[in-house]
This record gives sequence, C-alpha cells and structure tokens, in this order.
Amino acid sequence: MAVKAISDYKFPSKSREELYGGAMLVHMWWKNNPWFCAAACFPLPKTMTWGDFINGPVKEFFSEDPDWSDDTSFSYTLHGKELHPNPEDTLEGLGIWHKSVVAMTSA
Amino acid sequence: MTIAPKAPRKLSMKDRYSALTRDLDWDPTYVTAEEMYPFTSFEGIKIHDWSKWEDPFRLTVDAYTKYQAEKDKRLYAVLDGFAQSQGHLSLTDASYLNAMKLFIQGVSPLEYQAHRHFAYLARHLNGPGPRFASLCQSLDELRHLQTEVHTLSNYNKYYTGFHSYLHQHDRVWYLSVPKSFFDDAVSAGPFEFLIAIGFSFEYLLTNLLFVPFMSGASFNGDLPTMTFGFSAQSDESRHMTLGLEAIKFLLEQDEANVPIVQHWIDKWFWRGYRVTALIAQMLDYMLPRKVMSWKEAFELYFEQQMLNGLFQDLAFYGITPPKFVEQAMEEKEILSHQVYWTLYQFSHAASFTTSVPTDEHMEWLSANYPKFDEYFKPLWDKEKRNLAAGGRHFARGLPELCTVCQIPMLFTEPGDPTTICQRASEFEGEHFNFCSDGCKNIFDHEPEKYVQAWLPVHQIFQGNCGGATIPDVLAWYKMTPDDGGEYLGSLDNKNWLEWHDMAEKTGGN
Repeated sequence: MAVKAISDYKFPSKSREELYGGAMLVHMWWKNNPWFCAAACFPLPKTMTWGDFINGPVKEFFSEDPDWSDDTSFSYTLHGKELHPNPEDTLEGLGIWHKSVVAMTSA
Repeated sequence: MTIAPKAPRKLSMKDRYSALTRDLDWDPTYVTAEEMYPFTSFEGIKIHDWSKWEDPFRLTVDAYTKYQAEKDKRLYAVLDGFAQSQGHLSLTDASYLNAMKLFIQGVSPLEYQAHRHFAYLARHLNGPGPRFASLCQSLDELRHLQTEVHTLSNYNKYYTGFHSYLHQHDRVWYLSVPKSFFDDAVSAGPFEFLIAIGFSFEYLLTNLLFVPFMSGASFNGDLPTMTFGFSAQSDESRHMTLGLEAIKFLLEQDEANVPIVQHWIDKWFWRGYRVTALIAQMLDYMLPRKVMSWKEAFELYFEQQMLNGLFQDLAFYGITPPKFVEQAMEEKEILSHQVYWTLYQFSHAASFTTSVPTDEHMEWLSANYPKFDEYFKPLWDKEKRNLAAGGRHFARGLPELCTVCQIPMLFTEPGDPTTICQRASEFEGEHFNFCSDGCKNIFDHEPEKYVQAWLPVHQIFQGNCGGATIPDVLAWYKMTPDDGGEYLGSLDNKNWLEWHDMAEKTGGN
C-alpha cells in the first residue's frame, strides 16, 4: 500500500548508506544482558575487520558493564543465523550490511 | 404620536451559531468545489452531505472569548501569587520538575503544531460546522501553548532544563518521539489528521497523556500547572467531543470509509501509544509523590473507558479495537521500568536528570508491579553496587532506534520481558529496523513516508548535529552540563537543599 498524496510522492531515504561518508551503521546487541537497554549503533567502514570491531567500539561500549570481563566468550548471530567470524574477516565479508543487527550472547 | 422602534430581537445562542457558520457558507460559482477544497478527496474518504456534521457545543466567538478570558484571569492570578510567595519552594522536591521539563520540551510544542494544523482544517474542510469547530480548537491550542509557557516560565528562573525547549524540540533524541508523531500527522491528509489528532490523541489517549501530568502537579505542590490543567480541561472536553464527532461523521457518510478509518485507528493508536511510553516512566519514576501507577492509569483510562466503552459503541459501525492492542495491554506491567532504565543510562545527553529509586520508591514499585522484583530490581541493585564502587551507568555510545516511533529499541518480545524485540523490513534495497510488530506494520503500509524519518542517532553519525562527540552534540542541543545527568549532587539538587536549609534557619522568612 502506497502513501496517498496530492501528487507524486517519492523521496530518498534519510538513512541511506551514501550519507555516512563511506561508513555503514552496524548494530551490536548483547542479547542476554539487560544492563544495556538497547543494541548499540556504530558507524564503521565496511572493510573493518571483525577483530578490530570487537576489540575497538564493541569493547569500549560494553565494558561499561561493571561485570564485564575480557575473558567472557560470546556466540554470535546475524540476521537470525549463527555467525562464526574470524578476527581477520571484514564486516562486509561476513555479510554484515548497512543497519544490520549482530547479536552476541555471553556464555 | 411617534412610535418607538422595537428593540432588535436578540438571537438565541443557537441562532447566532447558525448565522456564524451555516449562513456564512456558500456554494462556489467562479471555481469548482474541488478547486476551492483541493485536499478532501485524495485520501479516498467519501462525504455526501457535510451538513450532517453535528456541532455538539455551538460556541460563538463572543461566548468563546468570554469563557477563555475568565479562565485566563484565574490562571494568571494564581501565577502571580505563586511567584510572589516563592511557591516553587513548596514543591515536594526539585526532582519533580523533571516531569515538567519533559512536558514543556515534548508536549507544549505539539500544542503549537496542533494550533497551526487545525487552522489549516478551518480553511480546507468543505463543511462550515467542522471548519468553525477546527477554528475554535486552533485558538485553544495556541492559548494552551501560551499558558503552559507562562506557567512553567516561573521555574526557569530557578531551575535548569527549561531554557531552550523550543530549540531542543526540533533536535534532541528523546524529543524526536513526540515531534515525529506530530510531523507524521500534519503531513497526512486532513481526514487522517482528524483521526490521528482529533480522535486518537485527543480522545483515545488524551486522559493517559494529560491527566497524569496534571494529577502529578496536584500531588506535588505545583499549583500553577494544576491550575493550567483545570483551565485547559474544558477545552479538552470539547476537543474530545470533536474527535468523536469526526469519526462518527466519517463512518456514517459512506460504508467505504470504514476500512480506511479502521486502518487509521490501528496506526494512530500504536503511534500514540508509543508516545505514552514517556508518560509511563514519568508517572512511575519522576513524581516524588505518586498519583497512581502507569498500570492503573492504563487500566482505568484505556482499558475501561476506551476498550470497554468507546469501542463497544464503535462496533455498531463495524469498527474493531486497534491492532496490537493486546501487546499494549501486556506491556503495562513492564513499560515504565524499561523506559526509565533507558532514560537513566542516557540522561547525560538529556535536559532532565535521573536517579536510582530510593528504597521506599522500590517498595512502591514492587507492590504495584508483580514482575518488578524479578526483572528490574536486580538492575537497580547492580547499579547501587556500581555507584558504591564509584561508577554511574551512562552509556558510552548511541542506541539503535526504531524507524517509526524513533524510540531506542528497548521494548521486549511479547511474552518475554528478557529479549529485546527486533523486527526489520527491506524497502528498495535498504534495511529498516523496528521495535515492534506495531511499528513494522505502520512502515510496511507506507514505506515511502518513513524512509524520510529524521532519526537523531543517524543524523549525528551523518555529521548533521554539531559534531562527532557528545559535547559537540550537547552544544548543538544548547544543553549545559547542569541540565542533565544524575540528580543527586546536581545544581537543582544543591540549590534545593540550600534554599530549604536557609528557610529552616530563618524560620521561613
């Protein structure tokens, strides 16, 4: 069903990827930790490696939890499917796209 | 002999009203009706006879201005007395004003939006009755904005967070929730606006939206806001009647209108309900002296009055309760806790303060919400330990937002308060995220509209909000370091303690 309007109704998305200067938005959701009210949103280059992602913005954001430990192991899902990333994989190579939600579950 | 001329017969109010509306209407001859009223056909609503619109109040301009002037006199007398007697010191606590900061930042600017758009309806609806009713409501809304600003300006002299509400309304992340709601309504057609604001906002949800603020004022020593509330109450009754008349008029004009109106009810119930998330946390967490719980308010003002009352009547027209209403009813147990927990961890970027509930407050929450002890008390207990160790839970980044309601994606799966609800849709190759089935449903009906959403987090990352760091963005918001964050130890808290300490030492003189 389309918008009912008095004339043609066609406008570009205000969140389209090209507006982020070469970056894309990636959401990281700590699924079994209610300390964080919502998933975090990060602007990241597609070529960023998984290792840099986890040890950079993800750790910075989630280590605010007083129970955070660097030794905690996580499993990951992307778009409802299990994800088994290697540290050198790029975000794009893992199938993460603009505004994807990656879920992490602590053991 | 001269015969004295008869005094002109005074018209009754009903006759004067008729002269003011019906007698000032005419059929166009130089242009077609479509050219004169170009916006009342594209939505697909069929109106066969505009004269069937019933005017429940039949106000005239002189009667309207007389009533409003009397109410204004009473309100401004209270405002003067309150200001001159340092009435702000008789509030329950300075933290109460967080509710009023939210009100002036989030709600008052909506009054102005309503004023403008009802003025538009007063020009563009074909019938003279609804045009005049819209004109009166437009004037009401402008007066509400003015009286709210004058009422709350008393507090701006002494407390933080009130100073840049209009500037902030257009920019700040949590204010994009009410702003986008109204932007959505005013950018729809005139009939959808009538259902969105006239019916859903002013009738279906009005008591949930406004009564908690005004009752909160009454219970917490805020005489000016309470008086403003009384002053606006008679207008709100008229607005409710207009909203009800609007929906019945549309439904009675043509059977083909029923599915269109039903879709708008579904959509605008959910849009409005999501805005009430801010009210829910205000009732349960921001008022030092409680009025009633959100759950009680929802049961009384929505379930009993609307579902068991209004929708029983609307069933006659083939209208059913809104889609996803069961989810809203289920959420009443958890909504306020989830929302306040969110505001708590992002209040360093807000124009209000937050704090951990006191032990007494937690007991009240436990007593009123059976699920509080299992799901939410452990979070506050952990935060207490965090505070004792020198921490304070402030998020170190920005959250994922729902594309439709623009609230951080904090809501949980139906039936599972531990798992955040994640929904998504693809449109023209782009991925969009939603907090609920209700918001996804709204997007899927009109994706072309919601792809334009001005999502605060996305705009910050696009570089449109003053800079890349939190201080840059707060400067762009015109927020000062004293406006937000933790209440205990804040400027408002320190001043409050100092003023009352001083009052005790001087015996109140």
